[in-house]
Amino acid sequence: MTTPPGDPGPAAATAPALEVDGLSVDIELRRSTVHAVDGVSLQVHAGESVGVVGESGCGKSTLGLAVAGLLPENTQTTGAVRAGGQPMTGVPDRELRALRGTKVGIVFQDPMTSLNPTKRIGVQVGETLRLQRGVGKAAAREAAAEMLDLVGLPRPRDQLDRYPHELSGGMRQRVVIASALICEPAVLVADEPTTALDVTTQSQILELFDDLRQRLGMALLLITHDMGVVAGHTDRVLVMYGGQEVEMGPTPDLFTAPRHRYTEALLASILHLETARGQALYAISGRPPDLTARFAECRFAARCHEAQADCRAGQPTLTGPDGHEYRCLHPADGTTRVPLTAAPRTAAAGGTP
Amino acid sequence: MTSVGEVAATLTPAAGATQRRARLVLDTFLANRAAVAGLVLIVALTLFCFIGPLLYHTNQVTTRLGLEHLAPGSGRPLGTDEVGYDQLGRLMVGGQTSLEVAFGAAAVAVLFGAAWGATAGYFGGLVDGLMMRIVDAMLAIPALFLLLILATIFRPNVGMLILVVGLVAWLVPARLVRGESLSLRTREYVLAAKTMGVRAPTIIRRHIITNCIGTILVNATFQVADAVLLVAALSYLGLGIPPPAANWGSMLSNGLDFSYSGYWWMIYPPGLAIVVTVVAFNLVGDGLRDAFGLARRR
Amino acid sequence: MTRYLVRRVGQAVIVLLLVTIIVFGLLHLLPGGPARAILGTMATPTSIKAFNQANGLNHPIPVQYWDWLTKALRGNLGYSYQQNQSVASLLTQRVPKTAFLAGVSVLIALLIAVPVGLYQAVRRSRFDDYLLTVANFGLYSTPAFWLALVLVDLFAVRMHVFPAEAPQGSNFSAIFSDPKGLVLPVATIALVSIAAFSRYVRSSVLDQLSQDYVRMARSKGAGRRYVLTAHVLRNALSPVVTLLGLSLPFILSGTLITEQVFNYPGVGLLFFTACTVQDYPVLLGVILVVGTATVLGSLLADIGYAVLDPRVRYVRAEAAPA
Repeated sequence: MTTPPGDPGPAAATAPALEVDGLSVDIELRRSTVHAVDGVSLQVHAGESVGVVGESGCGKSTLGLAVAGLLPENTQTTGAVRAGGQPMTGVPDRELRALRGTKVGIVFQDPMTSLNPTKRIGVQVGETLRLQRGVGKAAAREAAAEMLDLVGLPRPRDQLDRYPHELSGGMRQRVVIASALICEPAVLVADEPTTALDVTTQSQILELFDDLRQRLGMALLLITHDMGVVAGHTDRVLVMYGGQEVEMGPTPDLFTAPRHRYTEALLASILHLETARGQALYAISGRPPDLTARFAECRFAARCHEAQADCRAGQPTLTGPDGHEYRCLHPADGTTRVPLTAAPRTAAAGGTP
Repeated sequence: MTSVGEVAATLTPAAGATQRRARLVLDTFLANRAAVAGLVLIVALTLFCFIGPLLYHTNQVTTRLGLEHLAPGSGRPLGTDEVGYDQLGRLMVGGQTSLEVAFGAAAVAVLFGAAWGATAGYFGGLVDGLMMRIVDAMLAIPALFLLLILATIFRPNVGMLILVVGLVAWLVPARLVRGESLSLRTREYVLAAKTMGVRAPTIIRRHIITNCIGTILVNATFQVADAVLLVAALSYLGLGIPPPAANWGSMLSNGLDFSYSGYWWMIYPPGLAIVVTVVAFNLVGDGLRDAFGLARRR
Repeated sequence: MTRYLVRRVGQAVIVLLLVTIIVFGLLHLLPGGPARAILGTMATPTSIKAFNQANGLNHPIPVQYWDWLTKALRGNLGYSYQQNQSVASLLTQRVPKTAFLAGVSVLIALLIAVPVGLYQAVRRSRFDDYLLTVANFGLYSTPAFWLALVLVDLFAVRMHVFPAEAPQGSNFSAIFSDPKGLVLPVATIALVSIAAFSRYVRSSVLDQLSQDYVRMARSKGAGRRYVLTAHVLRNALSPVVTLLGLSLPFILSGTLITEQVFNYPGVGLLFFTACTVQDYPVLLGVILVVGTATVLGSLLADIGYAVLDPRVRYVRAEAAPA
């Protein structure tokens, strides 16, 4: 309902690979309820890449789990998620199981822990085929070798019988990606897929995503806290704050003309080639809001430099022209204070040369 | 030397931070209901054993023929034992010995073990290898076997019993503290102290041991529980403190001799007293460990 | 793997040597020294002097140690004048019985503790997990000797279901002459072990269930049962092998108590009786054998763990745990 009609993009004619419609997720704890995701809507088409950006605790990982049909038992959802035409919410676990890995694959942050240390790589990559398609051992192994080749693992056949700890972090993450994609799901959720990796490996993995997206035509939901990661590798970006969408738009627009003050602040906090030596990086002061509370004001108001009385009077709604919407009463006017580059932070990890 | 040591001391985490941490540990501990229950139990047991006899007067000195093995009844809530002592009163007096010896032994074990472990960890290399192999070798001999043979060699009185139990129990804290000091010795403030020429014993005391305090405290709590069990086992086997001094283990030992007579009041009260004490200390130990954020392991 | 093995075996050899030194040291710690130990408390100064002369006890300590060690290695553990038998022959009678008692009890304990721990982990924080945790905690804090007494009181004295004395007789097969007599001793050791084991299994499984690879497996469409059997079980249970090795001293201590309560003619009872009559050759022989068994047991456990976990095979070679 909040997504504007006539969505731009090359795949507009077909139904989107991923549709999130007014999704809210509540996590029930012993004494309180966390409203982790609050009314998020989103569409990702086949071959398209959408970044989800926010601080830790903003609900972006919960969104990813909901899309992958992996929410824990103590959660309540309203709204709908459809992946590859199939509903991923409000479905009994038994039916959901058949959709996992076939409609949506997911890649987690740490390749060290997302692989079973005592199982051989070939078995782990081919596992989804065995579970979902009833494929035999030999055929699954064959498919695993092909998939490992596709994700760029050198000498894939020699790797099948190795254990995860025998590979480097980057290679392990390639193995994880291979095992998530072996059934060619319509959607791949990548939750901080590069955070645990060193900078050179980071960009290699991101390039691998671009490559796979084109070859397999899957939709990519790239979840990260790092604006630098989404910069060169996404078509659109969804910025989340306090469980809500605060801004969404085409990646270049968002970087050149952020409207929400939070997006603006996020952009100001990344390191650019132009950042002068000795110049302090901008840091957003204060803490993310407590999501057990209900809000009667803009959730960012407490940390916003531009906040005014009306920001505290009520929650702003999403507004904005087609394709670039934001939730802010006093948006940035487009003449941003932030230098405009799309360089990933790999370029200047240790400061300017 | 003092001045250098003081300079080095300023490099350790600031006093304010230590206080904040202590506050956090205390808050976490108090939020843990099981741990608080354990603490309450310990206080109650201590009051029972040490204040109880002041309120509940019984004759625990002269044996009284004709009053043996009386079942619980009015005036003797837990009956009498094989020489006519009141069981409830005996439970209090026996508990005093059990707790005193357990606390003493735990203190000996932890102090010695911590010093040993910190030294091994601080020096590392060959010294560490040798010191820890000695610990391994002693750990290879099951505690009860070692305890029994030591108790056979040194006929125990209270002081000796504390030493003997401590001598068996120091191995675990030695291991734990050693593990921690291995990482502590590479910290900046330790290296700084070393470069300033502070002597090793001072560094170990001031920087290694003080920073292992969480581990040491947690282990000390478990040590009391273990010592209660060891002392009771030893007395139960007849190798503890010789009569007429009573403790819970020797009371049980007497119960064993009459287990066929159906004198349940000689078996259950001292046994339950031991279990409750051990449970209480284990609860507090678990609570402390969680409060200090230490790994789940004993 | 090979480097890890060599290092681990080397450690075990050093520890074994230290065990012998401790035993030898205990022998010399005795008031009156080894002569008094062997001749008994009735020995006179003259007979001690004669004994020292005859047995080379006036040699320097290292020489004595070497003599004693080479004898022990050849199976000569001394002679018990009180039992009028060589210590070695006493041990060959008793060791199989204790091994049987401990082995059966631990096996039963594992058969119960593993499913219980697993169940608790799966049902984490539910009422039944809570109940089992409380029961476990109580059992964990219960001394073996009291548990044995309670079992005797309930099942032998009050209900007359099982005898309170273990089967007697000096040869091994005598154990089976009265199988009912084995129930309470086995139950005692099994119960105290169950408490420790299931606590461990529960936390080990929980530890594994929180790992990302479990979420990953679920994202591949795996059901709970499959995740548990195909992924978690092996990773959670291989450390149990190490636990078994580490628990050996604890189990043997429990065996000593149990054998004493039920008059089970094993090593523990032999040791206890020797304590009461100060039969030092037997005491030291038992300590030596029990210590050796523990060292070898934990060595075997570590090797078993290395076989089960591929990470140890490669990684631990560089950083073996001390």
